[in-house]
Amino acid sequence: MKRSIMAGAAAAGAALVLAGCSGGAGGASGGDPDTLTISGWSVSSTPEFQLLADGFEAQHEGISVEIVDYDPTEYNTLVTADLAAGSAPDIITQKEVKFVTTFQEGGQLLDVSDVEVPDDIGGAASYEIDGTTYATPYRQDSWVLYYNKALFDEAGVDYPDGSWTWDDYAQAAEELAAGTDAMGTYQHSWQSVVQGFANAQSDADILEGDYAHLAPFYERSLELQDAGAQQTFNTVSANQLTYQGEFGKQNAAMMPMGTWYVATLVSQQASGEADDFEWGIAPIPQLDETTTGTDSTPITFGDPTGFGINAGISEEKQELAKEFLAYAASEEAAVALAEIGITPALLSDAVVDAYFGAEGAPTDELSRFAVQTHETRPENPTSSRTAAIQNILLDLHTAILSGSSGVDDAIAEAEERVANEVE
Amino acid sequence: MTSTPSAAPARPRARASRLRRRNTLIGWSFILPNFAGFALLTLVPVVVLFYMSLTDWNIFGTSNFIGLENFQRLFGDGSFRLSLVNTIYYTAMHVPLTIIVSLGLALLLNNRLRGVAFFRTAAFFPYITSIVAIALVWNLLFSPDFGPINEGLRFLGISEPPGWLTSPAWAMPAVVIISTWRDMGYYMVLFLAGLQTVPRELHEAARVDGANALQRFVNVTLPCLRPTMFFVTVMLTINSLKVFDLILVLTEGGPGQSTTVLSQFIYRKGFEENSFGYASAASVVLFALCLVVTIIQYVWNKKRTV
Amino acid sequence: MSETMTLVAPRATRRQAGSSPVARRAGRIALYAALIIAAAALLTPFFWMVMSSLKEANSVFSVPVRWLPEVFVWENYVDIWQRSDILTWIRNTLVLSVTVTALQVLTGSFAAYGFSRVRFPGRNGLFLLYVATIAVPWQSYMIPQFIMLTNAGLANTLWSIIFLQTFSAFGVFLMKQFYETIPEELSEAGRLDGLSEYGIWWRIMVPLSVPAIASLSLLTFVNTWNDYLGPLIYLRDPSLWTLQLGLQNFVTSLYDVDYGVLFAGLVISVLPIAIIFLLGQRFFVEGIATSGMKG
Repeated sequence: MKRSIMAGAAAAGAALVLAGCSGGAGGASGGDPDTLTISGWSVSSTPEFQLLADGFEAQHEGISVEIVDYDPTEYNTLVTADLAAGSAPDIITQKEVKFVTTFQEGGQLLDVSDVEVPDDIGGAASYEIDGTTYATPYRQDSWVLYYNKALFDEAGVDYPDGSWTWDDYAQAAEELAAGTDAMGTYQHSWQSVVQGFANAQSDADILEGDYAHLAPFYERSLELQDAGAQQTFNTVSANQLTYQGEFGKQNAAMMPMGTWYVATLVSQQASGEADDFEWGIAPIPQLDETTTGTDSTPITFGDPTGFGINAGISEEKQELAKEFLAYAASEEAAVALAEIGITPALLSDAVVDAYFGAEGAPTDELSRFAVQTHETRPENPTSSRTAAIQNILLDLHTAILSGSSGVDDAIAEAEERVANEVE
Repeated sequence: MTSTPSAAPARPRARASRLRRRNTLIGWSFILPNFAGFALLTLVPVVVLFYMSLTDWNIFGTSNFIGLENFQRLFGDGSFRLSLVNTIYYTAMHVPLTIIVSLGLALLLNNRLRGVAFFRTAAFFPYITSIVAIALVWNLLFSPDFGPINEGLRFLGISEPPGWLTSPAWAMPAVVIISTWRDMGYYMVLFLAGLQTVPRELHEAARVDGANALQRFVNVTLPCLRPTMFFVTVMLTINSLKVFDLILVLTEGGPGQSTTVLSQFIYRKGFEENSFGYASAASVVLFALCLVVTIIQYVWNKKRTV
Repeated sequence: MSETMTLVAPRATRRQAGSSPVARRAGRIALYAALIIAAAALLTPFFWMVMSSLKEANSVFSVPVRWLPEVFVWENYVDIWQRSDILTWIRNTLVLSVTVTALQVLTGSFAAYGFSRVRFPGRNGLFLLYVATIAVPWQSYMIPQFIMLTNAGLANTLWSIIFLQTFSAFGVFLMKQFYETIPEELSEAGRLDGLSEYGIWWRIMVPLSVPAIASLSLLTFVNTWNDYLGPLIYLRDPSLWTLQLGLQNFVTSLYDVDYGVLFAGLVISVLPIAIIFLLGQRFFVEGIATSGMKG
């Protein structure tokens, strides 16, 4: 008797939960038609959300914009959980391109193809799936080369001039390591530091499952480690070195890193957390001479950050939400973002002027060129297979650089795993 | 059973069934507060989980019943097999090591030495320290080129000390060491409580009979400790099979896949790659593994008690 | 056996007094030395953490490892107390830990009595079910659980965490194992005295299981105090944040963690537990003396 009651209760309970599960977008964000909620992270130390919120409120009388603060490292898990439970905000910030298809396939994102964005805004393609646009970018960081002018002077090495290939870079790194107490360069432990460039500059699509193009890039990194021009991967991971610390404390003369670091370095130099030295930005070294020089467009990588709209919100709010997306992508918003050191997706002259207007930012022409002129290819293709493939490539990355596996073996294993494990 | 003067022996079965009903009622009245919450909050989601393993749920509601397809895919999945092996390897090393160390600590600190409170607290400290801090510190200590541990080993004459967390062969042993260091205070507390159930008179009697410390331990302490030992072994084994947080912050499953365990595989598939049905199937396998091991331990424990 | 004891006991003490005091003192010193070395090994990571809490952000991690800060940055602690909402976090964490501990010990020991002392059909199978669910990793069923609690309107309240943590099978399991070490004769004696089962539980089992209750309380308290993932998912409102949650949020921006301040916060977070343990650990080893169980 008891057992059948228990079984019945369990079944009823399961049915309840399933009903809740399949009810996905429960439209719980109906709420106040004059308030827009946006999902953000670390709001106290990430001023861009509040900036955009304030700017939009200024343009729209009587509308208020609220930011829902999420934990930055678990952002996607939390937003996913909220969307599944129907309690997510109106506007869903797309923090990583890897997760766009997750939301889109689950029917969580509204079709925003009719939102007008400037023509030359970067990163818009990442949000287009099967011809329909599901989000619009407002920010796009690209990867550039930071260099410490003081250390270059000390070693007697010429500054980068925009014409470097990776071989030039490696040679300079070794000369810098020999001529100073610091390392020649600092390559952080992220997989993107090697793979991002390899994929972008070799014009490779990681979804296809061939990774031979990664080999020369890894071999170069290993050589730099062996030559003592670059901290070993094992030391970087074990000692948990921070890239801000390594470049900011002048432990390395060069560093490939994203443009978001400009604002950080400027403020850390102002507060004394980083040393006071002259530095500049150069375009990232290229694969070969076809794209080098300030007459060409260097190829680098980067992913946009954008806004999508929760498909469950009411119709009247949808219009308002779309206006917000258009605002965030506009030049006016871009200039405001640039003033606080964020790299917007739109890089018109006015925006770049504002970007370099901050005190402490480098003022030379090459730095400006590096930030403004580049072909930024997506780090993560927009597909449901991307996350799984990137995880496999991460394992490849740690295996090669930790010395556990040879380059060719690791690549062969990754190719096999992608063929077997990814649907 | 108390012997109440029975009136008519004609209806013993009726009395027995009344007794059983009374016991059932009483038993359930004790269990109900806890069970109600447990059933609602744990049992129901777990049942849902089991159902999900038979679908291709992607968390946002669309789920199609696909039967055992997830399981078939699991057993052909190289990463799954690897994480299963890693998990078993970790458990096989961690469980005996932790039991020995924590029982040893409990025995050592089950006395009235001056300052024993301080030592017990020291043993418990690793458990209450945040995992993030533990991972950071141990990564530093185990740093192959600059860490104090390898410096010490080189000092002792070992010219090529292991790469520890950066070496695929030594990463798991390093993880086991750190994990044992962290857990020993926790299980020490449980053993300490259990040691209190060993009557002192038995020890005295054994000592008088001429038994030395080891013999007393084996013949008096261990048998009295059996319920606690069973509890500790079962909890330790299940927790080891389920280990997740510590390894994630220590190595993130690397280098390569050498420390990827089942829980991380489940997390990756579910939360990072959005294959929740598939991740649920892997959870069911983990559950089955724990269940089998627990039943084996349960049966063995029962045999010993009789 | 009791007669034998009285005969034997005095002789035993005399025999003990016979062993050499010097040998015993040497043994004692060796023991202390070993314990101190072990304690040092156990506390080294914590020592590094405290030292790092006094470093500035970019100096915490370095090559080679630095044990002592070059510059003592006390501001990290000041930062936390002044710039963050730490008092709110401590209050929330305290409320949760105390409530969960009290409820879990209560319902757990209550249920454990039912499982260990009352015979009813299906008991063992049910208990196995309890233990079996411990075997399922939480992140596997956390989403269905979250949906359920959200639909019940409990998400984003402290109740969600209380419900999540209170009904754990761990407490039931621990108490049941402990109850099994208490002889049946005591319960029988209680029944003869006319106590109901509930009376037996309250007046006999509970007082005798002080070590188990103490250890369960401690471990539950610690687990709730340090719980991160549960509050992360359920407590979104900053006014509900627990210590671990608030701390992580305070020190983390997207690409960056201020480790000096984080460690300062973690040191603050560990201290209450260490103190509770230090003061309360004698309860693990003090119970009612078993000699009181005769007769």
